[in-house]
Amino acid sequence: MDSSEVEFLAEKETVKIIPNFSLDRIYLIGGDLGPFNPGLPVDVPVWLALNLKQRQKCRIVPPAWMDVEKLEEMRELERKEDTFTPVPSPYYMELTKLLLNYASDNIPKADEIRTLVKDIWDTRIAKLRLSADSFISQLEAHAKLDNLTLMEINTIRAFLLDSLNCMYKLRSNLQPGSSKGQFTDY
Amino acid sequence: MPCERKPMRYGHSEGHTEVCFDDSGKFIVTCGNDGDVRIWEGLDDDDPKFITVGEKAYSLALKNGKLVTASSNNTVQIHTFPDGDPDGILTRFTTNATHVVFNSSGSRVAAGSSDFMVKVVEVSDSSQQKTLRGHEAPVLSVTFDPKDDFLASASCDGSVVVWNIEEQSQLISWPVLQKTNDISNAKSLCRLAWQPGTAKFLAVPVETKVHLYERGSWDHVSTLSDDLQTQLINVVAWSPCGQFLAAGSVGGSLTVWDVNSKLCVERQKHEKGFTVCSLAWHPSGSQIVYTDTEGCLGLLDGLSTPTPNTNTTKAPATKAAKDYDDLFDDDDDDRLMDEGLSETNSPVKKPVAGDDDDDDDFLMPATGRVRNRGAILDDENSLDTGSLKLGQDKFGDDDDTGSAVVPAAVPLVPMRPVYEGPMPTAPQKAFQPGSTPAHLTHRFMMWNSVGIVRGYNDEQDNAIDVEFHDTAVHHAMHLTNSLGHTMADLSQEAVLLACPSTDELASKLQCLHFSSWDTNKEWMVDLPEGEDVRALCLGQGWAAVATSALMLRLFSIGGVQREIFSLPGNVVCMVGHGEQLLIVYHRAPGFDGEQALGVQLLQFGRKKRQLINGEALPLSLQSHLSWLGFTAEGTPCYVDSVGVVRMLNRSLGNTWTPVCNTRETCKSKSDHYWVVGIHENPQQLRCIPCKGSRYPPTLPRPAVAILPFKLPLCQTSTEKGQMEEQFWRSVLFHNHFSFLSSSGYEIDEDGQSQSQKEQQELLMKMFALSCKLEREFRCVELAELMTQNVVTLAIRYASRSRRMALAQRLSEIALEKANQIREDEPEEEEEEPAYSGVRRTSGYSQSEVMEERRGNTRDQEEEEEQGEELREEEEDGQEMETEEAAETTKRVNPFAKEAVSSVTPSLTPIGKVGRANPFKVLGSGKPSSSSGQPRVTNILDNMTSSRKLSPLSRSAGKPGKDPVLKPLAPRPKTKTQSTLLQMNATKAASKKTQENTQPAADQQKQPEVPPPASPADNTENNRPKTGFQFWLEENRKSITADQPDLEETDIIKEAMGRFRTLSAEERLLWTERAKGQTGDAADLKKRKRAGGGVENDNGQVEADENSSKKKKSLDPSSKLSAFAFNKT
Repeated sequence: MDSSEVEFLAEKETVKIIPNFSLDRIYLIGGDLGPFNPGLPVDVPVWLALNLKQRQKCRIVPPAWMDVEKLEEMRELERKEDTFTPVPSPYYMELTKLLLNYASDNIPKADEIRTLVKDIWDTRIAKLRLSADSFISQLEAHAKLDNLTLMEINTIRAFLLDSLNCMYKLRSNLQPGSSKGQFTDY
Repeated sequence: MPCERKPMRYGHSEGHTEVCFDDSGKFIVTCGNDGDVRIWEGLDDDDPKFITVGEKAYSLALKNGKLVTASSNNTVQIHTFPDGDPDGILTRFTTNATHVVFNSSGSRVAAGSSDFMVKVVEVSDSSQQKTLRGHEAPVLSVTFDPKDDFLASASCDGSVVVWNIEEQSQLISWPVLQKTNDISNAKSLCRLAWQPGTAKFLAVPVETKVHLYERGSWDHVSTLSDDLQTQLINVVAWSPCGQFLAAGSVGGSLTVWDVNSKLCVERQKHEKGFTVCSLAWHPSGSQIVYTDTEGCLGLLDGLSTPTPNTNTTKAPATKAAKDYDDLFDDDDDDRLMDEGLSETNSPVKKPVAGDDDDDDDFLMPATGRVRNRGAILDDENSLDTGSLKLGQDKFGDDDDTGSAVVPAAVPLVPMRPVYEGPMPTAPQKAFQPGSTPAHLTHRFMMWNSVGIVRGYNDEQDNAIDVEFHDTAVHHAMHLTNSLGHTMADLSQEAVLLACPSTDELASKLQCLHFSSWDTNKEWMVDLPEGEDVRALCLGQGWAAVATSALMLRLFSIGGVQREIFSLPGNVVCMVGHGEQLLIVYHRAPGFDGEQALGVQLLQFGRKKRQLINGEALPLSLQSHLSWLGFTAEGTPCYVDSVGVVRMLNRSLGNTWTPVCNTRETCKSKSDHYWVVGIHENPQQLRCIPCKGSRYPPTLPRPAVAILPFKLPLCQTSTEKGQMEEQFWRSVLFHNHFSFLSSSGYEIDEDGQSQSQKEQQELLMKMFALSCKLEREFRCVELAELMTQNVVTLAIRYASRSRRMALAQRLSEIALEKANQIREDEPEEEEEEPAYSGVRRTSGYSQSEVMEERRGNTRDQEEEEEQGEELREEEEDGQEMETEEAAETTKRVNPFAKEAVSSVTPSLTPIGKVGRANPFKVLGSGKPSSSSGQPRVTNILDNMTSSRKLSPLSRSAGKPGKDPVLKPLAPRPKTKTQSTLLQMNATKAASKKTQENTQPAADQQKQPEVPPPASPADNTENNRPKTGFQFWLEENRKSITADQPDLEETDIIKEAMGRFRTLSAEERLLWTERAKGQTGDAADLKKRKRAGGGVENDNGQVEADENSSKKKKSLDPSSKLSAFAFNKT
């Protein structure tokens, strides 16, 4: 799974838009959308919101958590806690990126939000690396991490799995023994 | 001293704040870290005026219309109050000033600064400065001696110093405070206060106590303390009378001492325990306002400072006499009668006066500008008695220490106006609904269903932005506002703007007619001199302007002047929609906070008329109008300042019904909803939630929220209440259908039928509920509201749940309704009279038949019927049970459009029960009810939509030999087609011949048929006929031959008699034959409906005959095929 796929999944999240056109309910496989009344907020998936936005057919109302004060609080909490704190949305990073890239004019203090989310992301990734490090250094068999988002898991997956494999090879070569030898055959 | 602590409210951003009252006590003035000075008209003012004085404001002082502030640019500036115009810089320091105060007369200002200096400046001439040097650390606070000789200051160097102002020298210094190096590190702000009036004491907060130093001797004479006071005291303030001292502490406690007794008379705690950094007394002494370091503003109310107790003990006789003297001296023209009351009245009156003020503050419309009653009173008083203010006067009267110091001890009573009745309210100003106040620099000039007009009026720009919700209407526009337009309206066709007149220019009306097809998209009109636009609105193809000359001018949208007429009063606001114009104006002065508004509703178009003719507009108590508009469907509605939305109920003589209270959904007291639009279908109240204010800001762009409507009916928490509310709301919100159709608009028929369905559904639910609660009378009342076909359902429900009396009454109602419908629609078709006439007679003949039959077989029949009912219940057992258990879910079905199949089974019993019961209950049966029954069912068949009846029956009538049957035809026919087996069709066909032989008889008979056919029966459509029927077919000829003049009914009767005389074997034979014939008996088709009359006998006689269920099912099927025949 690469990050574009995760982003694709994130596009299914709903977001409020204020359309500037009038359209009756539309019926899609994923469910009904609309009706669209000019000036009246309506929930649509992100992909549609961005599409409409790019065609200048709507304004996007940022999700409630996309707010400087709330994100600051979250950042502080994230920095204070050793474990992962619950995130505002399972796709917070992707949504921030998408919305800020395409609809930054509809989001107050877009730059600050971008920085804050990046901060939160960095803090979490740092924690993730740290826990991966201690996981490996303590030769644990399993570990439990709560409140991770898909994107975060996806970020670390390739590296962690490869390095674990690699280390496994190294270790099994290092220690002579018949049983180990068998394992390397796999 | 009981007092009430009002909840804190947001005043400024976090940080040091200061607060004071203006001289009249009408405004609370605060300054804070955000650099604004806010002027609040009471604690509940959500829209305070503000003056920006700098980046930060450290301190403020207010006197004689001058506002002095210490701001972060190291200056002490003056602004005028309340206008807020800058009035120069008083003095400068090398760093910021920390505290500024006025002296008692307002002629001088003292300011302490962080650069260790204190300056005393003449307000009139800022070059006259006196600098007091000597402190060795930033100055914490300064205070003037009321007699203007001295000045006291406290500093971070730990000293409190008294200065001689003239000599600019230190008089005395007390090292009582803790030393710090900066204000920000100081534990306490140490605000000093000098007793007003006598100037006898200087109060110095020292840690948790307040030291009182005596003027002159400068001795520490006493200490005010409180055991419960454990925190450092930050600020102290004397009451205006000088008798009480209030202190606010770092931990948020507020304490009031009586200085004479040195007793603590009041303790309050800040609700969150924040540091109180400023407090001020109301000039009347009844309130204390305070602020904390978090920027919040609070109020203690109802401090009845001079308690009667202290007053009586402390006021010696000589004092009273002196007061009397004063009284005579000052007010010789006043009534002597009142003087005796002065002493006794005052303590009582004062709290009252205080309360009044407070009430006014609370009720002040937040749109501001309107001066309140108290203020008006004040003004009158000050006119009467020179420059004195009411508050001061009151204190003069009660001040027990008050010898010479009090400006003039004018007694209270003569000052009171004689008139004690209700006071007129200031009329509310004209406004544009959907706009925010004009004094805002960035404001919405209009927000409606079409778009948004925003006005910017700041230094760089004076512009108007027009934006459309639907970009398909027009692209957004940006206009420079060179004329200074203040009013706007927006429609699908045009933007209308208007400006008030200025000295040079007349008031102008500008219209951007963007939908015009020629190249000239704009026109402008100057109003006559001296006439100002007060309100304007746009309709479809017209524009209206109400002016200050009480005139209403109509323009066409292209700029042609049209009608002009006079308004009965000053306009408040005006809206247009389509061809309707709604005007609200002042009918008369309102009293005690009420507005007396009148409303006019005009309709243009082809037939111009006035629909509402200057009736009073009902508002909530002590509120004013805040929004006026039409729903998208064209029903007038409005919102008052209390948040109640009312809508015109055209079906109830143009009354106004409250449909929503927006304040109920608000989370906090200072939140409001700003209504922008109302839709009736779907029911939506579109509004913008405003947190902590009445109006939304232009940025960030507010989002529209949708509120549901709710009629304020009683007990809406109960199921009954809920349904009643839903029902009446539905009724109210669908009034527009009838209005629209009556004024010739096309209407959404789907929506209408949907709503009718919904209403009837609710009625049925309520009916079921009342049934369950054994409220039969209520059931009948509900049935009165139902349409006829639903009444039949109700009858069915009632009889199922064994409420025969109820069913009986319902059937009467059904009959009435049927009559009414017939009377209402006589013009619907010419055939109608004949049709109903026949119907009636047919009903009659039926009852005759039935009666006769009854005569013969009453006993059996009764048994039969009971059995029948039982069987029905078995048949529908499933349905019944669910129905009674949960009517709500089950009852929905009959109405569900798609559930045709479920409709029909439930119809079956209607016919049976509806027919059977009245007879059973009534014995011989009243003709009226029995004749009513068939009608009911007839109408049930046709009434799904009464509209459809006429075209269908008409078209059916065209082939035309048999009008009687027409109304019945459509429905059974469809059923035949959908559910009957092929065989039945052949039966029908074959029957044709049969029918033809007896057309006359049939014509009379058919109406009798009515009980609606049903699928339940349809399932048994191919049941065999009874033996009797076969026999009758065979022998009819012979009977008619014997007695040619017999009626059809008589024939059957006769036939029955003869059949009975047959031997058992013979009868059995016929029965066998009947059984054998079922499949292919095309040639043996009989008039099956006769079977209905006979079957009971058969049931009796033929023990081995199939169950009577089968027999019973027979007649409907035969009826069906009869219809099918008639149709073909």
